[in-house]
Amino acid sequence: MIVIKKKIPQKRRPISIKSSFLFPTIFLALSFLLMILPLGGVVSSVKALLSYVFIPQVRVAHGAVKYAKGVHQTVRELLETHQQNLALQQELEMNHMLVTQAETVIRENERLTQILQLKPAKPWKGIWAKVAYREPSQWNTIIIDKGSADGIEERSAVLSVEDGKEGLAGIVVEVAEKTSKVLLVQDEDFSVAVTLEHGQEEGLLVGGGVHPVRIKYIPLQAQVQRGDKVYTSANSTLFPAGILVGYVRNVREDSSFQTAQTVEVVPLVRSAAVKELFVISSLRKGSR
Amino acid sequence: MLYKAFKLVFLFIFATVCHWGLATLFSFYGMSVNMMLVFAIAFCTVLPLEAGYPLVFLCGLFLDFFGTKLFGNNAFSFTVIACIIYALRERIDFERYLPQMVTVFLCTLIVGIINSILLIWFTSSSQWPGVLSLLGGAIIDGLFAPFVFGLARFALREESPMVVRR
Repeated sequence: MIVIKKKIPQKRRPISIKSSFLFPTIFLALSFLLMILPLGGVVSSVKALLSYVFIPQVRVAHGAVKYAKGVHQTVRELLETHQQNLALQQELEMNHMLVTQAETVIRENERLTQILQLKPAKPWKGIWAKVAYREPSQWNTIIIDKGSADGIEERSAVLSVEDGKEGLAGIVVEVAEKTSKVLLVQDEDFSVAVTLEHGQEEGLLVGGGVHPVRIKYIPLQAQVQRGDKVYTSANSTLFPAGILVGYVRNVREDSSFQTAQTVEVVPLVRSAAVKELFVISSLRKGSR
Repeated sequence: MLYKAFKLVFLFIFATVCHWGLATLFSFYGMSVNMMLVFAIAFCTVLPLEAGYPLVFLCGLFLDFFGTKLFGNNAFSFTVIACIIYALRERIDFERYLPQMVTVFLCTLIVGIINSILLIWFTSSSQWPGVLSLLGGAIIDGLFAPFVFGLARFALREESPMVVRR
């Protein structure tokens, strides 16, 4: 047995001419009367009642609108996240390649070190600490929340990260059980042997307090340019070699009788921006 | 009959939610969307005039209760629209999307103009939303028309499928 559903269009009832005129006339007249009659009190009462009755619908409508606006924002964020995810995946693949290359270089370095009978460089080890206190009168000295109980020792090098780059922040000058005091690069009592990006010249970087940080004893014939990177020297007894300290801001050739030029440096790690610090704990003499 | 009345009430409540929601949403873009009118037109295309005129009148009156300037202008303009739709119902195929959209677009413009004229006439104050706002609202109304018409047809039309057995 085959069953076929067949839709038959609904036949509309014939509309009488009388009702086709009657209804519009009644409602047009009624609405016209509503407009001209003084119904302020009645309208206000009904309006109050309707407002009370229709509050849930209004809430639903506004909730839906809010949700709809949120959906737009969420979708946009989702798309952006997707793009970021793709970019990060590419970066991750790139990093994998770099790690592989680095491993090859490290192996080659170890082999050459062995051949040349050089002392191998040890990897840095240390602990992260946070700024616990900062004296208003001594802006270039900070107290960190780690001390001797955490393995921190005096004269340990301290690094920090700024703009995604790690750089020298200072040195531990006092150690208590739970806290330590760090002297930052800008402090006028701070000094470190440094080397410049171009050339083999070494100098002594000293903090300036309110004055710029500068490098002393750079020979006059040394080619120093603005923007050159400044690294800790291998001759430093306290700091591991190759830590970025800052960038050359200015080169001063003072009086003609001077035998060295003075180089002003912008430290990578600004005193005011220091928040988290890495204290190198396992570096000792001969381990660079 | 009771079931149909229930569906009608549900549709009316849904229309109010759509009206407030979309009016709020598109008001950020300066468009005066009138979803209640779209529902009213859809009711006219589906219901007989004995039910259609009172319902459309109530839709307009409902908006009037939430208006501030003149009471009854929406009821009047909606009734005018009902007259137009009932006059055109036999001539235009409202089953197709394009006539639905064009009719709603034009009716939105007509309602906007009638309301403005009534306001100027009775209250001597202008509430002209602006040509772009009115046109934008009419376009949005027109775009939503197929959905609303489909919903009204689905909920209210009485179709009696005949089962033929062979």
